[in-house]
Parts: sequence; structure tokens; C-alpha cells
Amino acid sequence: MLDILKEINKKAALNTSRALSKLTGRRVNVEISKAAVKKVEKLSPLIDPEEMVVGIYLPITGGLKGASLLIFPKETAFTLSDLLMKREPGTTRKLTELDKSALKEVGNILSGNYFTILSNTLQVKIIENIPRFSFDMFGAIITQIISNFAQEAEKAIIIEIEFTFKPVKLKGYFLVLLRLEEINALLGSLKELRSDRSS
Amino acid sequence: MPDKEVKIGEIAVTMARDSLVASGVGSCVVITLYDRQLKIGAMAHAMLPSRDGAGRPAEEGQRDKQYKTQDVRYVETAIDEMLKKIEAQGTKRKDLEAKIIGGANMFSAFESDIGKGNVLCAKKKLKKEAVKLVGECVGGSQGRSVEFSLASGIVTVKTKF
Repeated sequence: MLDILKEINKKAALNTSRALSKLTGRRVNVEISKAAVKKVEKLSPLIDPEEMVVGIYLPITGGLKGASLLIFPKETAFTLSDLLMKREPGTTRKLTELDKSALKEVGNILSGNYFTILSNTLQVKIIENIPRFSFDMFGAIITQIISNFAQEAEKAIIIEIEFTFKPVKLKGYFLVLLRLEEINALLGSLKELRSDRSS
Repeated sequence: MPDKEVKIGEIAVTMARDSLVASGVGSCVVITLYDRQLKIGAMAHAMLPSRDGAGRPAEEGQRDKQYKTQDVRYVETAIDEMLKKIEAQGTKRKDLEAKIIGGANMFSAFESDIGKGNVLCAKKKLKKEAVKLVGECVGGSQGRSVEFSLASGIVTVKTKF
């Protein structure tokens, strides 16, 4: 499972770098610094539960049910807003509606890239819903997403990706929640397909 | 004694020298129970109403299974377990005071309002178990952090705004 997901992560990072470079008008490089697949209940405490973060949540339906959650610590969100709105980094002290909308767009780009590649690789139709925004304590945001998922699927996996934006070093987290049963079935059929091709 | 953090899916029952805390509470619900005479308190940090998954209290038939699993991620089971543990310390149900905190909805237009379901379930269960509800700080769209002082029974709720 890990090899295929590594492949997807790499492609998604490359595509996101290109899209964000276009959006900000400067060279942006998205690098994946850490990636792990875990059972949802084993999600590590990425950030202090009381730390203020921006959370961009995007549910998916279709052949694969799940969601993505993009997390930016407060300072990252502020600097990223400056880059997106073409202001001097360090200007933002409070997020305006326009800043929130621009950050949601980053969520759209990142999730869109990821799910397009996932959809193409696994040959399954994925329908993305509109992104939802929250700016609050990390613990409060993450637990709502996990609770919502736990209502429907007892066993789920979470793909935990830590990434950095360069040249201004900004750290963020991209989490993908998928039902274990569904992703196992899809990866199984993909493996078969690949071994058929190679034989 | 230092504060004891009650994490998601946990319960704690303790005596006067401790404070119980729960950080970053969103749609989850924190339920506190306190006996003023004995200065014994309990806190639960539950994430879903009940095992039936639809945000409703469990049907009678499902309840036995829940008792067996003692899964305190669920509001109903968490309250059952807290009552069992606190009453084992000698407290009487009529002396208990309950408070409910949390149950927010962190994202607008979210698919389901889990927070609201958690709060409704907690209120219903406390009423059924004849526990007095003396305070609540619930709903809205903000995360909360909770500190429960066992010496005074005071519950302090903080938000970041």
C-alpha cells in the first residue's frame, strides 16, 4: 500500500507546486517531509490541541468516501495569506474574508490534485465537495472530523502528510481519511491490474 | 497535585486535590459530575452520542452490548461508567451535580451536527439517571478548553476568541 501512496504523494506535491507558483507569482516548492498511513484512532497529536490553526475540510463521495483536512498553524496561515494576496510577509494580523477564501483555494488546489491523482491511479470516480473553513483550536477541529468519520466507518485509515512550502519555509499538514475496507479493495484490484500488465 | 488531562474517549474520577482538564473541545462533549460534600468529581470527554452511530441514544436492544464494551468514547456509556465509579467512592446520586460543556460545530454547512447530538444525548441520559444538571456551556462554533477544580466544583471554560 505504501509504495502506491508514496507515488501519489510525489505527483500531488509536484502538481501543487506548479499550481501555487502560478497563483502566487513566485516559485513555490511543496515538499513532503513526512508521510504515514495510520489507523484513525492512532493519529498522533501533530500539534498542541490548544494551538490555533486554520483547518480546510473537503469531503469526497463517489467510488471512494472520505475527506481531506488541510491544517495550517496560525503563523503559517498568516504568511501564506500574505503570499497569496501579494503582501509583504508578516503583514497579516487577522484573517479577512478574502484571506479565508484564498486559503480555501489552496485547500481546493492541494486536495484537488491529490484526489485527481488518487482517482486516476485507482481508476475510481471521486467527487469533491466544496471546502469548509475553520480557524480555531487544533484539537477542536480535528476531533470533529474524526468523530464524523467514526460515525460511519469503524475502521478508517488516515494518511498523514507533513509538508513545507519554500522559499519561505512554511509548515502544514494534509490529512486524508479513507475507509479501510474501500481502500484495501481498490489497492487490491490495482495490484492485480499491474501484475496482469507486467506478465 | 498536577492537573489531570482527560483526553478524548477517557473518563476520570478523582478527589479534591486534583483539577481535571480537557483541551481543544469541539463537537465532543465534556460532562462533569461533582459531590460537594465529599469533594469527589468525575469528568468524561466523549466524542459520539451512542454506538448506533446516528447521533441518537441507543435503542434498548443495543444497550447491553455497550455496557460490555465499556467504550467511553460514547456519551451514554461514559455517563454510565462515571456513575458506577463515583458511586463506588460512596457518593449518592441525589448529591451529584452535572455540567455539560462543548458540542460545537466547527465548520459551517457540515454534513451532520454531531455536537448537537452529543449535547442532547447527554441531557437525556442525565435526566434518565436522575442526575441534576446545574450548568452548561454548549453549542456555537468555537472550540473550548475546560478546567474543573475539585476543591470548589467550579468549571472554567476558555475559548481563544
